[in-house]
Amino acid sequence: MHGTMNRSSALKAPAGLQARMLLTLFLLGVVYVVLMAALFASGASGVTIAVVAAGLFVFQVVAADKIGLRAMGAEEVSPKEAPELHAMVERLCVQADLPKPKVAIMRTSMPNAFAMGRSKKAATVAVTTGIMEILSPAELEGVLAHELAHIRHRDVMIMTLVSFFASIASMILQFGFFFGGDDDENPGFLALVLVALAVYVVSFFLMSALSRYREFAADRGAAEITRRPSALSSALMKISGTMQRIPEQDLRAHSELAAFYIARPSTKSLFALFSTHPPMEKRIAALEALERQIQGTTGTQPLPAA
Amino acid sequence: MGFLDSLLGRSRTPKPAKKDRLFAMSTAYVTLETEHGMTSGGKAGLVFQAEATSDFARIVAEAEELLRATGEETGTTVEVSDDKYGYRWVVVSDPDVEDLVVGLSSIKDGLDVGGYGARILAAVFKYERSGGRPAYFIYNVKRGLWYPFVPGKGEQVRDNEAELRLKAQLGGELPMEPELERWFPLWGVPL
Repeated sequence: MHGTMNRSSALKAPAGLQARMLLTLFLLGVVYVVLMAALFASGASGVTIAVVAAGLFVFQVVAADKIGLRAMGAEEVSPKEAPELHAMVERLCVQADLPKPKVAIMRTSMPNAFAMGRSKKAATVAVTTGIMEILSPAELEGVLAHELAHIRHRDVMIMTLVSFFASIASMILQFGFFFGGDDDENPGFLALVLVALAVYVVSFFLMSALSRYREFAADRGAAEITRRPSALSSALMKISGTMQRIPEQDLRAHSELAAFYIARPSTKSLFALFSTHPPMEKRIAALEALERQIQGTTGTQPLPAA
Repeated sequence: MGFLDSLLGRSRTPKPAKKDRLFAMSTAYVTLETEHGMTSGGKAGLVFQAEATSDFARIVAEAEELLRATGEETGTTVEVSDDKYGYRWVVVSDPDVEDLVVGLSSIKDGLDVGGYGARILAAVFKYERSGGRPAYFIYNVKRGLWYPFVPGKGEQVRDNEAELRLKAQLGGELPMEPELERWFPLWGVPL
């Protein structure tokens, strides 16, 4: 119809990424089914575990974001306190057609940002004072769009659900350590502990992988909102550069929380398998591919694998 | 956007609402002026995120040119400016509200046909209130819904009372955004 008709159409979601994400979700599902089967097989303690699990689940879903915010020292700010930040978030929300999340600030020189909340309507976007200092408005906008994409993709809910089963497994493990003395009387219990151990280990790797894929997806989502992937790239470069220089302090203690950051606080992870964020170069390369797509040049380089 | 799409991270920026209700203003202004003592500020703007592609600037310029050409008959004038948040405004001036609506609509269509409809945030109309601060009517292009925005005294203060009153008064004329949390302010409107 028109030569430029496709120009602003949706950025292509890389097929491989979708497949890997589905596979990860599927494998996590399998792991949990095995765990549940093991729970039922162990018999007597089933009801107790179910009650504890339900309680834990409700707690995680309802309170996780509040605890997370407090753990990271994020304070909600009003539009009067942070007018520019609010205005920026508001416009991105109009663009992305999202309800406005709460806006919070952490007083730390470490540049970072994260999103919290179980749903689109109960979400919070938080940034550190450090990130606001080092980034230009367009870069900060890219980072905020990345966090809004996390909210839109329901990443916090997904990661909470996914980590829920890992928490149950770890509870069973702890049970096992406390009451592990009389294994002879209850071999079923020993088996349960072993299954829980396996579940814990496997889900840990799968969670990390899922988190990395969703990081790529959020970068792409940010590019969809702002159409300026290069601004996000340069933000990531600035953040990672500063991160390596600023000594490590309080914020990176909680690895579960790291999954929600814009960039992983510690860049010294030994094995890529353990990390919740893809390496910076890969994210930047992926953003570059998106920029080529937006600029309409026929760069057919696929998004690199996580 | 489907639930699965967002779950799999395939989100996309929504396009303008299928049911365009921008033209609701071309009748609502009569009620505003005759019954509620408001007068058109003579200006309206379309706000969008400019894209750094080669054809984007050309498409905007073409839409602007077209409006300038037709505006010679109606007396409509056009101005383009960037606000401090980096968003671009095409501001149309005309004492006749109907011409303002037609003007913004032609810019919007120009962007839409050029494939950049998803970049548009909103259309904004300014009204002077007798004995009060000006009120803005914001048309969220993606949702196809209107809401009032009345800046209050001081930085980033809204007069919610006036806004809710306008909603009650005009609910029948302008399709209003029912979700109040989506009544996004637009600070620094260049109108």
